[in-house]
Amino acid sequence: MSRLSAAALLAVPAIGIGGLMAYVRSPYVTNQQMPIEQPIEFDHRHHAGDEKIDCQYCHFTVDKSPSAGIPSTTVCMSCHAQVWNKSPYLTEVRKAFFADEPIRWVRVHNLPDFVYFNHAIHVNKGVGCATCHGRIDQMAAVEQAAPLTMAWCLECHRNPEPNLRPPEFITSMTWTPPKDKAEAAALGKKLKDEYDVHSRTSCSTCHR
Amino acid sequence: MPPMNTKRDNPPSQESSSFALPVVSDRPAAAPDAVGEALEHAAANANSSEHGYGQSYWRSLEEKLGTSEYMEETRPEFPVGADLPPSGFVRREFMQLLGASLALAGATACSTRPESEKLLAYTKTPPEVAPGNPLHYASAMTLSGHTSGLLITAREGRPVKIEGNPEHPINQGAACTFEQAWLLSLYDPNRARVLRQGKTPRALRVLNESLTSLSTKAATDNGGSRVRFLTDPVGSPFTGELRARIQKKLPNARFFSTSSNLDTQSDTLRALFGGQAVSALYDFANADIVLSLDADFLESCPGNLLHIRQFADRRDPRKGKLNRLYMAEARFSVTGGMADHRLRMKSAEVLGLATAVAQAIGGPAASLASAAAGKSKLDAKHANWVQAVVADLRSAGAGRSVVIAGERQPAAVHALAHAINAELGNTGKTVRYVQSPIAEATGLSQVRALVEDVEAGRVDTLVITAYNPVYTLPDDVGLAKVLSKDHPNRAKLNVIYTGLYEDETSAHADWFVPAAHPLETWGDGRSVDGTVSIAQPLIQPLFNGVPESELLALFLDEPLKPAYQLLRDYWRGQSADAADFEARWDSWVSQGFIENTASPAITAAPDFGAATSLVSGYAPPAEGELELNFVLDYKVYDGRFANNSWLQELPEPITKMVWDNAALLGPDTAKELGLSPGDMADLTYGGQKLTVPVWIVPGHADKTVTLALGYGRTGLHESVAKGVGFDVKPLRSMKAPWFDGGATLTKVRGSYKFSLTQTHWRMENRPIALDMPLSELEHPSEHTEFVLHRVKGELKQHVQDNLPDYDYGSGYKWGMAIDLSRCTGCSACVVACQAENNIPVVGKEQVARSREMNWLRIDRYFEGPENDPKMVMQPVMCVHCEKAPCEYVCPVNATVHSDEGLNDMVYNRCVGTRYCSNNCPYKVRRFNYLHYTAGKTATEKMLMNPDVTVRNRGVMEKCTYCVQRIERARIDARVNRHLIKEADLKTACQQTCAAQAIVFGSLNDKQQLVTQLHEDVRAYKLLHELGTRPRTSHLIRVRNPNTALEPAKHAEPKEGSH
Repeated sequence: MSRLSAAALLAVPAIGIGGLMAYVRSPYVTNQQMPIEQPIEFDHRHHAGDEKIDCQYCHFTVDKSPSAGIPSTTVCMSCHAQVWNKSPYLTEVRKAFFADEPIRWVRVHNLPDFVYFNHAIHVNKGVGCATCHGRIDQMAAVEQAAPLTMAWCLECHRNPEPNLRPPEFITSMTWTPPKDKAEAAALGKKLKDEYDVHSRTSCSTCHR
Repeated sequence: MPPMNTKRDNPPSQESSSFALPVVSDRPAAAPDAVGEALEHAAANANSSEHGYGQSYWRSLEEKLGTSEYMEETRPEFPVGADLPPSGFVRREFMQLLGASLALAGATACSTRPESEKLLAYTKTPPEVAPGNPLHYASAMTLSGHTSGLLITAREGRPVKIEGNPEHPINQGAACTFEQAWLLSLYDPNRARVLRQGKTPRALRVLNESLTSLSTKAATDNGGSRVRFLTDPVGSPFTGELRARIQKKLPNARFFSTSSNLDTQSDTLRALFGGQAVSALYDFANADIVLSLDADFLESCPGNLLHIRQFADRRDPRKGKLNRLYMAEARFSVTGGMADHRLRMKSAEVLGLATAVAQAIGGPAASLASAAAGKSKLDAKHANWVQAVVADLRSAGAGRSVVIAGERQPAAVHALAHAINAELGNTGKTVRYVQSPIAEATGLSQVRALVEDVEAGRVDTLVITAYNPVYTLPDDVGLAKVLSKDHPNRAKLNVIYTGLYEDETSAHADWFVPAAHPLETWGDGRSVDGTVSIAQPLIQPLFNGVPESELLALFLDEPLKPAYQLLRDYWRGQSADAADFEARWDSWVSQGFIENTASPAITAAPDFGAATSLVSGYAPPAEGELELNFVLDYKVYDGRFANNSWLQELPEPITKMVWDNAALLGPDTAKELGLSPGDMADLTYGGQKLTVPVWIVPGHADKTVTLALGYGRTGLHESVAKGVGFDVKPLRSMKAPWFDGGATLTKVRGSYKFSLTQTHWRMENRPIALDMPLSELEHPSEHTEFVLHRVKGELKQHVQDNLPDYDYGSGYKWGMAIDLSRCTGCSACVVACQAENNIPVVGKEQVARSREMNWLRIDRYFEGPENDPKMVMQPVMCVHCEKAPCEYVCPVNATVHSDEGLNDMVYNRCVGTRYCSNNCPYKVRRFNYLHYTAGKTATEKMLMNPDVTVRNRGVMEKCTYCVQRIERARIDARVNRHLIKEADLKTACQQTCAAQAIVFGSLNDKQQLVTQLHEDVRAYKLLHELGTRPRTSHLIRVRNPNTALEPAKHAEPKEGSH
């Protein structure tokens, strides 16, 4: 009996702590699997999926700036002045364009203020869009695919090879590494050398 | 050696109690006690003989004299009050509130997702903008008629940092304290927003109609003979033309200008060159001997940056022969601190010195000197000094020296200085005369003429664009009086004033027009050498300000044009070839200045005969009692930066005082008058009495008292400046705007608490800031060798060097070198660091508790007797120890080492134990005791550097070697597949330093300057003996004394010592 209660005495805090640890890593806390409603029903399934528009057509600073860039209303209108220019879905876009008012998009990937992520270096060193953002081409409303926890960042920074892809597939939504494990590892190693990847794990890499 | 280590005599008993911790048994019992041995080692090295290091260097008088108060106050490690909880909140109350807010929070905390953040996209992204990347725009700042070239960093349309324009001939990439802090004034929420007539807000259209009808009527009635303008000195070609056009429309209107530095130099040169506006340019690069007659030419001022750069190059033994600076002055100035020989004297005595030197030099200088005979007596004890200076000036050879007179000195001294230069063959070499960028005369007589016009009822309309003249001008000029309601002519007078703030002058204005900040509008200007800068705006006016040029254009009765149009039209008119103009305009704007626009040299020789009247007409000030001196402040200038909290909290370079001014005295005079620091005293002069707090500055001339201008502001909405310091204006007069004898100082009841940053921590007799004559470095005496051994010697394994080594490989190995020989202590780097790293301002009371936040501090050390000490400046920030004592005491790993040797500070891990700060021997860590960044207005937030975290309460912070710049440079370099180039990476402090005293780079690259400096014979590590292995090296300051005045103290050369 006493042995049982002693075990319970140990188990309760252990389960409690373990539970808390599991909880903070759960998608509920990391805000994954939570499609975000936007002021305009912009559908990446259609643009990135059906029409196969390259990510960089709209997010064109991704390879030269820390920020991938939210496309300006002009980018929307560059097509939608011609196509679907009467669509009621786009009323708000046209309104914003002609009033010269910004569209108030809701942020989906929101890192804490003390974290400095840089898109340019990742895209230039072989990390694909889908690696972190998931299959955007299958999302009606964009949701956060990866946990964006520090452990998740470090996983790749400690061993980037499995997450590298050839330069021509950076924006591809469908590219996968070779099925064969040895082949995949060899490709990862080759890409790491070619890109000259030096993933860093010092604190000041991201925190300053 | 005192018996400080008693440990091994009484080893703790090993068997007595069962509660005792088990003794580690795998070590032999007689193992050397590392702590004890280290103490022993330190004691053995702490030389207690009279050559002891700590007895020659000191930071404050109390320390020097070892007063009991000082010893008491610094006995505990931390100053009184450092551990107090924040005032205004009782802890229990706080917990109650916390409990309540938690309970309430429970009701809403159903989701952990923060309130959704919005992303606002451009309608049309400007082609040059890539959000997240900075853009740099050339612009310019005008102060007292000089326009400097700046390069301003903007992030998504908001300026966040000011640097010097690297291509501008004066700035060359550097910026001074005022330029650095200027950005804060752009975002100042205290700035005026309302255009008003009396107390009624008006639209600009109403003002336009009013001024148009006024100027039209004035033009037809009397050609504007009843209209007056009071402006700052106009160096801007564009404003000059605007003025000419107004003058064309209103030929009888008159313009007056005023400048706080009063510009005696230009008045003198006008006399020497037959009425021509001439300015003198000094070349310190080729001056082997410099004699400064009260000229603070190294002060951190926009026009001085080239002086500082050239002078610093001549203080670096790696660059060849050192120059020698002789300085005569009353207060201790930044330039005085750099002097090899500094002569303390009353300001009035400087004329005597100049006369004596001129007499000895001969030529026209001697005949001017005879005109000055009897005007100022030079103490006979200085004869030796004069003789040495003259001999040095002569032996330097023709064109290899400079004699420069200070702005506070009368025209007579300036005339003598120019005559001496001429006789020494310096004219055309180290002293060049060029056409002055400012054509008109400035000075108090100008404003006095204006006031007389008003008094005589000859003026209907007075337009004031000068900075706050009611505050900056001495009372007896009478401007305040004629503008006050009680004056009989006031009712007929219409006063239009434009300024950034509702200040002392705006209180008297009928029309007040909030000015656009120069960073919000277009403009131009000339630098001291005449180079034209084009100033472009960085942002739309934040508070509906009206550009000065647009205001002046209202008098022209032309269709309204924006400042951009006006400026471009002017330069198009100047351009001979209109077709070519567009391209050239674009290159001017992007470069920031127009090449080859430096003023033409004056070929005529100065006519010293004409200067005789200047000298003989000079009425020397009254003798006796105390001499009263006024100086422009190092931080707030004439008061125009008083609302700038960065500058208010910047420690004054010499006194290290923040948020205050004081009556400064020398130690002997203070003793005579029975005054001690912080006493209140009645200062009487010319029938006026002012009760002032007193501070004692070592090295201040005897029988003089110095007061800084620019404090005691009473502007309506200038909430930062209000109540800071005291206004010295009641004592200032036209007759003696800078100094006069006949003041008395008597102690009264009461005391005043100053906040100083220097005396917060104790040195414990360690060699910290080092300086020595060059000869001493070349042939070290025994004492020097001892000190050098201590700061550079081999570390004792396992005692001083007890952490494992780490191999930093072949990558970058960041390091810094700070050359004390070059550093003037001007403090521009401190402000640059503050702007770059989002460092908060904490206020006077917090500074008094040692809670200042500046990551970079400049320690000022005195050396020698308290009445006439030498000064050494030492910038200290985190030295990024390779074996950092802060790291191993942090319980949460919030401060750790990077693989490139940076001592990283991880704000999000920090829980605020402050162990790291306690264990830091350099005392460079700063703790956010309160939430200093709370309550920022929206415009103030725009100032923040988005690359640096804004720290919260309870977080430790410190210098990061500008890691955000390193990472940005690294990513740029890696994307483009090359290594970071030395030129592509500069820390904020390094970039702004005109003296180039701070160098940063990778120590693994032998080519880089920082590596060469680390290997220099002068390089030493701060607190080397602790074995922390700093990545920052300081370079010993070298002096170049004249052996005739200061014989080298050669100890008998030791055998084999060198």
